[in-house]
Amino acid sequence: KLNVGVDTIQHGVEGLAYLLTESSKLMISEIDFQDSIHVLGFSDELNKSLLQLYLDNRKEIRSILGELAPRLPSYHSLEWRLDVQLASRSLRQQIKPAVTMKLHLNQNEDQTAQVLQTDPATLLHLIQQLEQALGEMKTNHCRRIVRNMK
Amino acid sequence: ILDDPDLKDIDPTVLKHCHAAAATCILEAGKQKADISAISTCLEDCKLDKERIEQFCTEYQKNKDALEILLGSIGRSPLHITDVSWRLEYQIKNNQLHKTYQPSYLVTLNVENSDSGSHPDVSFSCTMEQLQDLVGKLKDAAKSLERATQM
Repeated sequence: KLNVGVDTIQHGVEGLAYLLTESSKLMISEIDFQDSIHVLGFSDELNKSLLQLYLDNRKEIRSILGELAPRLPSYHSLEWRLDVQLASRSLRQQIKPAVTMKLHLNQNEDQTAQVLQTDPATLLHLIQQLEQALGEMKTNHCRRIVRNMK
Repeated sequence: ILDDPDLKDIDPTVLKHCHAAAATCILEAGKQKADISAISTCLEDCKLDKERIEQFCTEYQKNKDALEILLGSIGRSPLHITDVSWRLEYQIKNNQLHKTYQPSYLVTLNVENSDSGSHPDVSFSCTMEQLQDLVGKLKDAAKSLERATQM
């Protein structure tokens, strides 16, 4: 339809893809983008379209690129259950409370589920420790770093 | 027991039988959480004299709690969480994406396996929202526990 060779189209597509991924990766500003493509010598109208294309798709491209980064298994969700052990083969008449949990993690497209258990004392300890962790982002130290890194 | 000087005059086979019998008796009593009168009755049926029965029961009573704890710890259970460590990091860039600027948590649950004694810790990363979700759920579990103990 375009009356142009296959190779040219392929190069065109590759070039466009490269332009957009690199720009999105670096999150360059509008001005920087315009300056960069200016050297290619295209018409003003084409430059405007390219800029619009960049701005429209930047977010999505970045989120896709984000998936390529090295990752540890990440948290998906947690199910829990309260159990009380009443007896076992070695001891009758017990009252042993426990919290049984199923931790769902995502690892590279797969979801894994792991069954874990803990006692009430450790549960409270876990909650306390993780609440402390959450609180860290609100400290002055972290706020200062976040501010200065933008 | 075989090395005890007081017992060296007794035939080792008899000693072994006695030891096994005593151990079995103690473990059964512990398992069933038998009280002193039940043990006494049982020993009476075995034709032990009063003094011996009393001695046995006194010793048993002394060690009963430790015995129950030991028996209670035998058995299989899912991996048991003993502790948690966390790390907060602020991501700046990676080779695929620059200027990411995202806080991220790395949480490790220290786990103890009652069977093999190995420590297959569970580690995962999460965002602040995900950690909030996790803590929220743990708090729900804790609240349920509290309500259950009040029933």
